Amino acid sequence: MLARNLPWLTMSKLKRREAVAGYVFILPWLISLLVFTLYPIITTLYLSFTNYTVVQPPVWVGLENYQTIFFNDPSIKPSVYNSVYYTLLSVPVGLILSLLLALVLNMRATGIGVYRTLFYLPSLVPPVAATIVFTVLFEARSGLINSFIRSFGLPAPAWFADPNWSKPGLVIMSLWGIGAQTLIFLAGLQDIPKSLLEAAEIDGANGAQKLWYITLPLLSNVILFNLVMNVIGSFQVFTQAVVIGGTTGNPMESTLMFMVHIYRNAFRYFKMGYASALSVLLFVVVMVVTLLIFRSARLWVFAEKDENA
Amino acid sequence: MQINEVPYSDNSPSLSKQIASVARHLILIGVTLLFLLPFYWMIISALKPNEMVFSDPVQWFPNPIRWENFAEAFNYPGFPFLRFLWNSTFYSTLVTVGTVISCAAVGYGFASLRFPGRNFLFTLTVANLMIPGVVTFIPIFLLFKSLGMLGSYTPLILPSFFGNAFFIFMMRQFFLTMPSELADAARVDGANEFVIFWRVMLPLVQPALIVMAVFTFLWTWHDFFGPLVYLNDQSSYPLSLGLFAFRNRRTTEWGLLMAGATLTTLPLMVLFFFAQRYFIEGIKVTGLKV
Amino acid sequence: MASYPQSRRNPVSRRNFLRLAGMAGGGALLASCAPKATPTQKPTEPAVEAAPTEPPPAQEKLSLSFWTPGGSDVFCKGFGTIAEEYEKLTPNIDIGEAQCNPSGENFNEMLMANIAAATPPDTTIIWTSPAAFAARGALEALDDLMAVSKYSQLENWPAGVLASCQYRGKTYGLPATAGTYAIFYNQEMFEAKGIPSDRESFPKTWDEMRRLSKEFVKWDGDVLQSAGYIPWGIPGDTFSSAVEFAFWSAVNGSQLFDAKNLKYTIDSEQNIYTMQYALDWWDEQYKGDLTKVRTSANWGGYSDGEGRPPAFQENKLAMQTNGYWFTTDMYAVEMKFERWDVASVPVGPNGKKTASGYWPNWLVIPKGTKHVTEAFAYLDYMTVDGIKIWYNNIPDLPANKKTDPNLVPKTVVEKRGQELAASINTFFHQQLDVATPMWDSPVQDFFLDQLSRAIEQILGRAASPKDALGEAQKACQAELDKVLSS
Repeated sequence: MLARNLPWLTMSKLKRREAVAGYVFILPWLISLLVFTLYPIITTLYLSFTNYTVVQPPVWVGLENYQTIFFNDPSIKPSVYNSVYYTLLSVPVGLILSLLLALVLNMRATGIGVYRTLFYLPSLVPPVAATIVFTVLFEARSGLINSFIRSFGLPAPAWFADPNWSKPGLVIMSLWGIGAQTLIFLAGLQDIPKSLLEAAEIDGANGAQKLWYITLPLLSNVILFNLVMNVIGSFQVFTQAVVIGGTTGNPMESTLMFMVHIYRNAFRYFKMGYASALSVLLFVVVMVVTLLIFRSARLWVFAEKDENA
Repeated sequence: MQINEVPYSDNSPSLSKQIASVARHLILIGVTLLFLLPFYWMIISALKPNEMVFSDPVQWFPNPIRWENFAEAFNYPGFPFLRFLWNSTFYSTLVTVGTVISCAAVGYGFASLRFPGRNFLFTLTVANLMIPGVVTFIPIFLLFKSLGMLGSYTPLILPSFFGNAFFIFMMRQFFLTMPSELADAARVDGANEFVIFWRVMLPLVQPALIVMAVFTFLWTWHDFFGPLVYLNDQSSYPLSLGLFAFRNRRTTEWGLLMAGATLTTLPLMVLFFFAQRYFIEGIKVTGLKV
Repeated sequence: MASYPQSRRNPVSRRNFLRLAGMAGGGALLASCAPKATPTQKPTEPAVEAAPTEPPPAQEKLSLSFWTPGGSDVFCKGFGTIAEEYEKLTPNIDIGEAQCNPSGENFNEMLMANIAAATPPDTTIIWTSPAAFAARGALEALDDLMAVSKYSQLENWPAGVLASCQYRGKTYGLPATAGTYAIFYNQEMFEAKGIPSDRESFPKTWDEMRRLSKEFVKWDGDVLQSAGYIPWGIPGDTFSSAVEFAFWSAVNGSQLFDAKNLKYTIDSEQNIYTMQYALDWWDEQYKGDLTKVRTSANWGGYSDGEGRPPAFQENKLAMQTNGYWFTTDMYAVEMKFERWDVASVPVGPNGKKTASGYWPNWLVIPKGTKHVTEAFAYLDYMTVDGIKIWYNNIPDLPANKKTDPNLVPKTVVEKRGQELAASINTFFHQQLDVATPMWDSPVQDFFLDQLSRAIEQILGRAASPKDALGEAQKACQAELDKVLSS
């Protein structure tokens, strides 16, 4: 600590004044880091080793909560499965579709700005409202989507009433809100120098080749950004799942996301200790997955340094 | 690599170009319609009598139009829409004010002022972006509980006045792109850092402030988890939670429910209409996500 | 979701019905149910009554708030009337307007949140057992107050029912009502097939009942047109099934929870058999397909989330298990037939005698209230005096032994005549004598969630009875041990 203080002593008066001002400016955030980040993380960790019902003080129980997670909670398996299923399906499909949409929106056409605006509109609908709208669209017997499917004489699934179809339903619903993600890709596409694509065209590259050899590599950092954000978001999906399946994940725990399970333990059973242990687990998993993605990014994210070299 | 000569015409649009243009528009229109369908369905269902929401054959236009759904949603005692609207507006506005003030100040501190530990703290801030909210919400809930603040908006609004990692990051990037000459000139004139920030720098980053305000407002309006955890009394609910409670109570009244959903979305549409530029530009410039 | 019963989300189907029924009722009355910003505000009369004869508030008047987990306008308004009567007797007390689930969400969660936040109501009804709340330290113990009360001494309650309020030797609630269960059956459907329809001739064993059920099963393609009995309980409403499983287990010679030894016995041989029996029954008569049965009609006894009329009242379901409250509730929708009766639950192959169950309205005082004595006095009043008004609105079996035993649901009298109504009433009273203890666990709510999960898995063919019940057993026992050790 003393070493850290040394520069302070050697500073000029002006610099010291600037430093003081700097601390004042970031003071709120410093408090926030301590009170709303550091303290809660430590407390969550501590609570995960206790039994705590809020009304009574916490009781230290060692690893019991973690034992329960791994051996004694029948809802763990389905909730982990659901969250992984949802993430593995919604993230790649969402990425690919939003990328395709961005390519479409990147076309030169009159009034393209209007289309871009319209695509973004669904992202404005609050998740609760959007989910309720989709429960109407996906209604098993006479909802719009099933009426459409049946008009081709095809069998229509019961969607949110069928444990095998409720998660695909959730994923489809999530795709409705990819407008924002699409616009991020669009911004990335517009940053790609036209000269590069034209040069490739002159070299005789076709559309697919241009996409594969130029557009995608130059877009890879945007893809990485969207990928990481979506994975973190998908592991924590809550609102849509709760609106559809309540805190028990109807039907048949098929919409019981991990986050819903945490919420249920925290606020239905008031098992704050156990819910904390679940939170710690989710935290670790999200961190590991994020790190793995960043690791893998070395292999597939096009680094601009190489371009300049 | 062999170089092919590509036929290149820059003149008046040929027939094939016109066809391509029409095809492009067809694709765009088709995809747009698909995207707007749930939207459309929400609004027309809100105008249908209950029994027509799931009619067979599918009814694309409400006939007769039932405006009463909105009137009923407004006046229904279990769903005091005006109250919820006020709650949402109040909640979102205060969070927006808090976020804009705090993040602008903190972002400026990180970008333009030098102080020991700055890089370390900024690294922490970026790391903070990656921390899932789930790992902090229980202790924060308990903290506000011990302060006797559960059942009020304080726990939902107060933290915004201390900044959030995402917008601090964004504001810092913005301030970094600002020329430092103006600030230096003011400094030479003897202005203190707060005056420089307030008078000189803030006006320069006004677009960023608007982007931040617009998105904070939108996200707060969307927020469901926070109010669900902190609010206990229905009359204090914001729209998103009120709509959820309404759904739980009146499962069979689909027309009314859709009217509620439409009303919950409507204020954001109005906001979007006026601040459209900032939404679209904001996303593009900062890589924001909803 | 749409074709999924609402009751699972807000787990109590009949209570849920009360809500829906109330919504369908007059809008003006709803005002009396509408949540208000300040729970301790003075009661405002519903517009229709227009009787503003309120005396000016005395200075030292004490306000007590009162919540219920939900309910129709009739239910809520009833509490307003009880409060009025009580205020006449005790001019210094002012009972706030009944808050019928102020949040519109899961009531237990909301109540716990308020207790945690130190903003609990002074008194409230709950629909799951007080023992589980007490184990979390959320309720006031009432023993001292009961001892010196007007009506609520320990001996004035059926011991079995009171056990649901007891945790570690203390009593935490009053089971104001204890509606018992029975099999409701449609006599007209029986007679149309030449089957004797008197109570004594009703099947006494599962095998007989299953054979009888088959008589009524009619499929049209994948649509179930009419059914006999669907085991065990309403398809899709697994929470109710989980509640009722207590007596299905009992009639097959087992139990789910051994309160004396604090051991769960969810996966006993007999219980596994009981579930397997239901599966065989489903295979034989209902194509073994939960989804088909569920989408065919509403088998629940109350209008469902999709507005489908209930099959029993539609003359399409010959038999169903339901509680005392259903004698009146069934008339909330149009009845396509007139004559019905009730019978005891048939006995399983491993069982010796019939059994029943019960589902009380519990009155409790949350921890953190400042006026425990005054609040208790009101609850004490409600269990015997107030219950008459309550009964008049929504008949439910009063549990306190000092209540008037001659209360008979007036709707049943109107529809079926005094004599039959009295006979049905007596029958339900007797069911209490054979009721199996079913709300005694300190982790009751956790257990019901686990059991309904298991039943859902079993009937949805996602797990065998042995595995699903075994899993529930393990989880519940671990949870119980955890709570008991702390």
